Amino acid sequence: MASPRISRRRLLASTAALATAAAATRAEAQSTTRLRLYWWGGTERAERTNKTAALYTQTHPAIAIAGETVGWGDYWTRLATQAAGRNMPDLVQMDYGYIFDYARRGALLPLDPYLGKELDLSGFDQASIDGGKVDGKIFGVSLGLNSTSLVYNRQAFEAAGLPPLDWPVTWADFAKRMAEATKAVKTPGVWASSDAGNSGPALEVWLRGRGHEMYTADGKLGATASDMADWFGYWADMRAAGACAPPEVQALDKSDVDTALISLGKSLISFANSNQLVGYQAVNKSKLDLAMYPTSSTTKSGQYLKPSQMLSIAATTKSKEEAVKALSFFVADIEAGKLLGVERGIPASAAIRKAIAPSLDAMATRMSSYIAEIGPRVSPLPPPPPKGAGEILALLVRTNESVGFKRTTPTAAGTTFIKEATDILARG
Amino acid sequence: MRPSRLHAGHAFLIPWFVGFFGLTLGPALASLYLSFTNYDLLQAPGWVGLSNYVRILTADAKVAESVRVTLLYVVLSVPFKLGFALAVAMLLNQGMRGLPLYRALFYLPSLLGASVAIATLWRQVFSGDGLLNRVLALFGIQGASWVSDPDTAIYTLVALSVWQFGSPMIIFLAGLRQLPRDIYEAAALDGATAWYQFRHITIPLLTPVIFFNLVVQTIDAFKAFTPAFIISGGTGGPINATLFYTLYLYQEAFGYLRMGYAAALAWLLVLAIGAITAAAFLTARRWVHYEA
Repeated sequence: MASPRISRRRLLASTAALATAAAATRAEAQSTTRLRLYWWGGTERAERTNKTAALYTQTHPAIAIAGETVGWGDYWTRLATQAAGRNMPDLVQMDYGYIFDYARRGALLPLDPYLGKELDLSGFDQASIDGGKVDGKIFGVSLGLNSTSLVYNRQAFEAAGLPPLDWPVTWADFAKRMAEATKAVKTPGVWASSDAGNSGPALEVWLRGRGHEMYTADGKLGATASDMADWFGYWADMRAAGACAPPEVQALDKSDVDTALISLGKSLISFANSNQLVGYQAVNKSKLDLAMYPTSSTTKSGQYLKPSQMLSIAATTKSKEEAVKALSFFVADIEAGKLLGVERGIPASAAIRKAIAPSLDAMATRMSSYIAEIGPRVSPLPPPPPKGAGEILALLVRTNESVGFKRTTPTAAGTTFIKEATDILARG
Repeated sequence: MRPSRLHAGHAFLIPWFVGFFGLTLGPALASLYLSFTNYDLLQAPGWVGLSNYVRILTADAKVAESVRVTLLYVVLSVPFKLGFALAVAMLLNQGMRGLPLYRALFYLPSLLGASVAIATLWRQVFSGDGLLNRVLALFGIQGASWVSDPDTAIYTLVALSVWQFGSPMIIFLAGLRQLPRDIYEAAALDGATAWYQFRHITIPLLTPVIFFNLVVQTIDAFKAFTPAFIISGGTGGPINATLFYTLYLYQEAFGYLRMGYAAALAWLLVLAIGAITAAAFLTARRWVHYEA
């Protein structure tokens, strides 16, 4: 078999042609700036976010946005790993509980120099802008406002002849009404409330009703051992009265919408966030409604309005201006706002709120009206959670379980909780 | 061998060397270094000397808890799994027809076992209104909430492990088929009962295989992670009842970003497994019979 002969000249010529082609491709690649956008959330959010990104790249052909999304459970692990590899996405969905950590470690870009130029927040009120500040500098911009909220099966309440959970419901009142509700629904395996003794947000509202913060401004525990003993005692009494689910049932809840007891058909109430109404309703057949958490005072709640999510930029991004422009589009552009809706919470920009109001469905309207009606009753934003706050949430779950399974008493649990939580904070 | 051939041989080894040094030894040494630091992924690691190790060995109650859970799991799952595997292997060694089919069927759970899907399924079977309790209900028995009760959660994990007996079973079966027939025939002629044959012929001749399975399964049991992670949703709950050492290590590393501390936990696990394996090899001289 004769081997194909290629002359040296031809070989050189084709090599040169290939090199030219490669150079051309590189030049083309350089003219598009690729931005990576990273967020947590479900399918609904992914669709809205991808559509918004597509709209931006249509009007900005030089920009390509690559979306990356995972569930909350894996989100922070993956972000931390990427940050360690200096491979953080350019645009990062951020949470109030983490922004301080990331900003203080230098992982985020301060946005103040771009304000009024690439970053247009003219429709934002000052409080919304301040919500994204760490040590006086802007590191995140609100993607929507929310608050904690009970999500409850209003239809089952009405069917059982129970009054709706209209403001104000005191903690004592709540215990009494839940015990009655469990009896009234008359279904074995269904309890009125979930066991929220394990819920950090519920504990925080309860503590603030007693005049204590979850964490003080200098990052210490705000609760005392007797606060915690009372808290664990409250839920022990709830369990004893059948007002909330027993521990082996509560253990099924993996703290997401799909495994919450209300979604499993085992309770009528979930201690949740207002923007989750859409997600809860999607997996529940009965009609759900929002209500404020139980309260200590009938005029003021320990709840607060907060940015449910923010958008931040990685300090390591290669194209700062372009990333800021894209961020500005996501948080403040009216067309973007129409696509994103209220799925991440109520938009902070008054112009967007006005523009989307006519097109909202019943669920979104309820979320907006909830945020509007609780406005006069909420308390100010608490100090930021210190490092170790996430671990303390896990400790709360474990300690509440120990009381639930009768391994310890509420009083002893209060003391060990404070001791272990103090250790966690000291360790950082 | 001619030098050029030697070079060629070395060249063929390069991919393995690259993998070993780049992906195994390199990261292992890096983790040894990190175990003496307070590395948190976001900031450069700072040297803290032995303090991670000191805390693990003297001041961390969760280490003690997770060691207790892990040892309980190893001590229960390994003997049950090996016993079950040997029993099935002996059953399959009766010279029945369709052996390859049965062997494949019995091996199947081991292929599926490490997967997330099976752990999820397990959670369903053993939950309060799961399959097991529905079957028990037919007999009028009110079952517990196996996976979400701190008293029983660990046993569901042991059961999951025993169910995946396929790999030691295959090895036992191969071992059984190597045993010389003539010894059994001689014993039968001398009037030895089946139990006597099992006790004094099968077991002694099988000890090298038992030893191998014991070491491999013990190491595997110490390293078990996926089932506990899936069944408890990563928490090790209820009340740390399924907090395997590996799960605690994972929580410290990826939950709370204490990479240095987690690296120290990992190195202590390596040392512990090494020591236990060494102890197994030392005692092996007394009970493992290798034919000359």
